[in-house]
Amino acid sequence: MPETTVIKKQYDALVIGGGIAGGEAALNLANMGFSVVLVEKDLSLGGKMIHLSKVFPTLDCAACITTPKVSETARHPNIKIYTYSEVKNIKKQSDKLFTATVFKKPRYVNEDICTGCEDCENACPVIVEDQYQHDLVGRKAVYIPFSIANPRVANIDMDNCILCGACEKACLAEAIDFTQVIQEIPIEFKAVIVATGYDMFDPKKLPNYGFEQNKNVVTAIQMERQLVPTRPFNSVLRPKDGKMPNNIAYVLCAGSRDETVGNPICSQICCMYSIKQAQLIMGALPMADVTIYYLHIRAFGKGFNEFYQQARSMGVDFVKGKVAKITEKENGNLIVRFEDVYKGKVKEAEHDLVVLSTGILANKGIVELFPGLNLETDPFNYVKQVKELENPSQTSIPGVFVAGTASGPMDIPDSILSAGAASSETASYIRRLS
Amino acid sequence: MAKINPEFLDELKKYGGNDFSACYNCGNCTAICSLSTEDNSFPRMMVRASVVGLEEKVTSSLDPWLCYYCGDCSLYCPRGANPGELMMALRRWLTAKYDWTGLSGLLYKYLPATILAFVLTALAVIGLAIKLNFEMETIMHYGHLFEMFAILGVFMVILTPNLIRMWYLVIFKPKRNIPIAVYFKGIGELFIHMFTQKRTLGCSNSQTRWFEHLILVFGYLTLLFTTVVLDWFGTENFFIIALGYIESAVVFIVTAHFMYSRVNKDKELNKHSQPSDWLFVIWLFLMGFTAFVVRLFIDFDLLAANFWLYLLHITILVQWAVLIVPFGKWTHFLYRSFAMYFSSIIQLSQETKGK
Repeated sequence: MPETTVIKKQYDALVIGGGIAGGEAALNLANMGFSVVLVEKDLSLGGKMIHLSKVFPTLDCAACITTPKVSETARHPNIKIYTYSEVKNIKKQSDKLFTATVFKKPRYVNEDICTGCEDCENACPVIVEDQYQHDLVGRKAVYIPFSIANPRVANIDMDNCILCGACEKACLAEAIDFTQVIQEIPIEFKAVIVATGYDMFDPKKLPNYGFEQNKNVVTAIQMERQLVPTRPFNSVLRPKDGKMPNNIAYVLCAGSRDETVGNPICSQICCMYSIKQAQLIMGALPMADVTIYYLHIRAFGKGFNEFYQQARSMGVDFVKGKVAKITEKENGNLIVRFEDVYKGKVKEAEHDLVVLSTGILANKGIVELFPGLNLETDPFNYVKQVKELENPSQTSIPGVFVAGTASGPMDIPDSILSAGAASSETASYIRRLS
Repeated sequence: MAKINPEFLDELKKYGGNDFSACYNCGNCTAICSLSTEDNSFPRMMVRASVVGLEEKVTSSLDPWLCYYCGDCSLYCPRGANPGELMMALRRWLTAKYDWTGLSGLLYKYLPATILAFVLTALAVIGLAIKLNFEMETIMHYGHLFEMFAILGVFMVILTPNLIRMWYLVIFKPKRNIPIAVYFKGIGELFIHMFTQKRTLGCSNSQTRWFEHLILVFGYLTLLFTTVVLDWFGTENFFIIALGYIESAVVFIVTAHFMYSRVNKDKELNKHSQPSDWLFVIWLFLMGFTAFVVRLFIDFDLLAANFWLYLLHITILVQWAVLIVPFGKWTHFLYRSFAMYFSSIIQLSQETKGK
């Protein structure tokens, strides 16, 4: 029997997660001359940031910061990227070496020859909800994830595909390949950066807000999609009847600082993104009133408080009081019940669109990627920074570092800073090995 | 100028409120409360006043009595501060505050004092029975007399002065000037709420609870009337005997269900029972149950042979009448109704002033 030898690909570092933190960390290491393998479970690099409209407090275009970074990462000679892939079984071979397996899921489209022309999309007869537009619009069963995706190649969603073969006939490049299976790629590396990011809080866990039952209650990320340049409706419309809203409410701390949903900590971004969106709405819908129901405005970062004051002076109405209940009227408008804490009185107000400023949660499951190794987490399931002050990226496993929101809630500037810290700590760790 | 009592928070903890200092003042409790209105918004203000020690604000407030403890505020409190239980503790504390004798506070705060009081009253009853040589006729005669005088005495000596104190703390001291005419105008509210407890219906999912409570109140009051005025244990009238059976059965069946709920903690309001809550419901159950059995034994001519049963009944009755009614949870029957009355006349007087 001929002996099959598996050639393990060797890298200096593995970066798990291709969001802004993972991309930044990979790019830093690659620029220092280290070889990096970057594994992203989603179809595109860019994480959550690539979907945002503007960033606070500078109101810079998020995509204009992310896309060049993503392109740079994707084209870097020192970086090998696996998108739509998951890394598992990260084990220590010796003190100096880790091994793992990358599971590359089938796209049923040959990435190398797909040109991203969208002919397959036009041919596909199946329409389902578009997860990249947060279900506001539809997409086809074969689809390019979103316009600025990287790699910009198609993918077949097998859960919804009816195997009619229309895309295969339409594809001039002959890139459609229904025979693809999961590929297992063994890899070796000296260090790991965990940049797995966060999960959005599921607003269905807040029964009193009636998300889904009340059609005009949306999440902030849905609103964000309506404010980006690549927005689906090219305007802000409410979901139930497509009416242009003119009295919008923001409900802060929806799923953060709330023991009843098991997330007692502050998500650190909701106050500011709500203030940002309020300002953007004033641009998009100049006649609209925006009310923000808050518990405490946490404007702690550089330029944040000025940004908050700016929103106030633009006419955003800030009301102190947690919204307890949202009920839908027959015309789709919503009655919001809250206590005006400064007046000490229960009040009800009518809005035609309510935005839930949902919090963020730890991306669970990261621990299971390290069987046999003990990756410690904090009480809220974020990766524990064992030396938060001396070596903020260090985790409980030597050689494993953490970057961005995998270690706790933080905003974009802090994530990038954290990624910078993680990449330099990783670089110095790899140097010390040899 | 507001006066702060720094020990207020610790004092309230002795009455059962434990978690309220976690409150971060979001107002979720007040907004989720189905009884809270723009004119009467609670419980957050009460939580705030309790945390910072604004004792007088609590003393002069009717909010704790306007709360019927549906438990939504505690269920949805993002801080787990349990505002519903604090309102319950404030009701206990106010009961003690209104009580001129000071015994209420003692019994609420110190369980040994409560146990001692119950043991002493039991000993007194047994002692009296020994002195009367366990003569059934005499003891039953005295028992009946006791019922009449206890009701009269407790009302004259304890409850009426306490209600006057309540009026003083809530209306007179905070200088809420209410014209005499308004007192008469609003009097209807007092009786409506005393005998219907219809406000409970405003709570979320409360129909069953309201119905049970209503028939319990009616069962209890009519049982009182049947035993005291119609002399249930002595009568030969078939109708009165049957009436008493029904009333006492209602009392012990409903209270048995209440006890079951408290054991199972099936609702938010049943999760944090204090000794005073248990005593109230158990003693009411025992009263109904022993009264039922005593009359049953009379009907089957078994009482003479089992006279201890009547002694047990009368002991429970004495403890109920001299401890729980004047100093315990029973008073909520009065304070709640009067709170609704006071609240409505305060509002009426404000409306007339507005005109």
